[in-house]
Amino acid sequence: MELVPILSAMRRNKVGAIIIVVQMAVTLAILCNALFIIEQRIAWSERPTGADERNVFVIINQWVGDPTNLPALLQADLAGLRALPGVIDAFASNSFLLSNGGWSYGVDLMPDQKESTAQAARYFTDEHGLQSLGLKLIAGRNFNADEIADLFGVNDQTPAVSVIITKALAEKLFPGKSALGQSVWIANHAANIIGIVDRLQVPWVDPSVAKFSDYSILEPFRYVASGLYYIVRTQPGQLEAVLKAAEKELFDLNRERVLGKSRSLTEARVEAYKDDRGLAVILGVVCAALLVITAFGIVGLTSYWVAQRRRQIGIRRALGATRHAIVRYFQTENLLIAGAGAAIGVALALSLNLWMVNAFAMQRLHGSYPLVGAIVVLILGQAAVLWPALKAASIPPELATRAA
Amino acid sequence: MLKMTHLSKAYRTEVVETFALRDFSIHVREGEFVAVTGPSGSGKTTFLTIAGLLEEFSGGEYQLDGANVRGLNDNQRSKLRNEKIGFIFQAFNLIADLNVQDNIDVPLRYRGFNGAERRRRIQEALGRVGLSARSRHYPAELSGGQQQRVAIARALAGSPRLLLADEPTGNLDTQMARGVMDLLEELHRDGATIVMVTHDPELAVRAQREVHIVDGQVVDMAPQPRLVEAAQAGS
Repeated sequence: MELVPILSAMRRNKVGAIIIVVQMAVTLAILCNALFIIEQRIAWSERPTGADERNVFVIINQWVGDPTNLPALLQADLAGLRALPGVIDAFASNSFLLSNGGWSYGVDLMPDQKESTAQAARYFTDEHGLQSLGLKLIAGRNFNADEIADLFGVNDQTPAVSVIITKALAEKLFPGKSALGQSVWIANHAANIIGIVDRLQVPWVDPSVAKFSDYSILEPFRYVASGLYYIVRTQPGQLEAVLKAAEKELFDLNRERVLGKSRSLTEARVEAYKDDRGLAVILGVVCAALLVITAFGIVGLTSYWVAQRRRQIGIRRALGATRHAIVRYFQTENLLIAGAGAAIGVALALSLNLWMVNAFAMQRLHGSYPLVGAIVVLILGQAAVLWPALKAASIPPELATRAA
Repeated sequence: MLKMTHLSKAYRTEVVETFALRDFSIHVREGEFVAVTGPSGSGKTTFLTIAGLLEEFSGGEYQLDGANVRGLNDNQRSKLRNEKIGFIFQAFNLIADLNVQDNIDVPLRYRGFNGAERRRRIQEALGRVGLSARSRHYPAELSGGQQQRVAIARALAGSPRLLLADEPTGNLDTQMARGVMDLLEELHRDGATIVMVTHDPELAVRAQREVHIVDGQVVDMAPQPRLVEAAQAGS
């Protein structure tokens, strides 16, 4: 390896090498952090909600005017939906998964607690909720029909006597011991934990809720309000047909209503994470553009060096360098430059991430990103230098005998 | 050492074929100092590039140190060039970015010598040309004569079987030229085989034998009178 003479030659032609080192370092730093953000966003958007998303759809129901017999209308709707062919179960609620809108409150372990132990999302459900969402009950029991009470709109402050909570919330509230049978305090009212489900996401999808994204509470209420959501689970493969039939059934039961855009949870997921996907695509394009620009930078500068050193290459060939030796010379030179760029880039990537961790509460960069980024940059450098290096290798040795 | 028989070199375009060398024959024996002379465009440089395996020839035979070089591929030619031939160019052809010892090191690295061997050879070659103290200097920090001495050291360091010199004093003033020629003569006395291309008759007479080329053909291979006289006086 000609490391010493190459370094010696580079010391005397610093500017070009420094430009490429800086370009590679910046590329690496941006690449690592951008890919990390992309990976984080993709992982965030792919988190399981805990529900049988493929087979669950939501109908947004808004009664027209101010019907006085809302409980009866609600019961009729639910009975009609549950009776439809292909329907596994249905219930009404104040919120639904991936809707990006819902209710939350602080959960305490004792009355008059100054600071809540956890923040949690509220979902109202009757005894059909677990089956309608396809939630997995891992401890305790479901609500009984006689435990379900009517809750009239957003201003009804009726406290829940019993609740079902998620495993994540149970572990947060009662770390290291069983939460089943324990009491929690919600708005200074005690509620007994009668069941624990494996998972149920909060309805919000913004990463800012990451700290309590799986802290949900199911309360035994039949939500009686002019605006509510019907959540229906179908037999596999029948969602579209049942959704159409469900809308028709609701209008057949009563035309005094407006139905919002009905959607499956799969569609809701696509809608909810549209921005995250957009960000991932933009960052991906930026990364690709950055790599292409860096590659062209290397090709351009190396081509310039080759043109500048044509005579030197001819001399080297005359002195016995094979074509392969010339290619190797430029590859080694590039490896040294890219190596320096990668080393600085790794430090820069970690510093950039540290700054983002402090400024935007981002997660710490996993060590594999700078490592993979450095390898990518080194491979990119080698690939980019190959064409100019091959051009250099084709310079004939007789060039050494021509006048300078 | 160097034997070309009926060698030709043609440059072809779509419409014309031009012979730079035609039916060219020459035999340089081991230990000889031969000057190749001729007017501009006579084919001197073409002869040198072919002799130095820098360029391929069109026809005829060429044997270098007993090996037929016809049909060798680029790698084989590079290897043979590196092992057997030392070049001394008119423009010195030192690499400006490398210091003296790194310049001399270039062909030695291609030869595959280890570090210790290369250092030994560099020191020996620099000692031979009287530039041991300048090993860390860059070409731009040396005079033309010193640069040519470095080039000679580079040519000698690999212990080549043949030294090819292309107008070795062409870029030097008279005093420096004399010094370089003295060095070449000294190398010849020590047993080196030297082929020097020059258009300068005064330099040519310092060689043991002069080969004159005109229009790509050898027209005269007379021994130098001075050397013949010296040989007769000696016998």
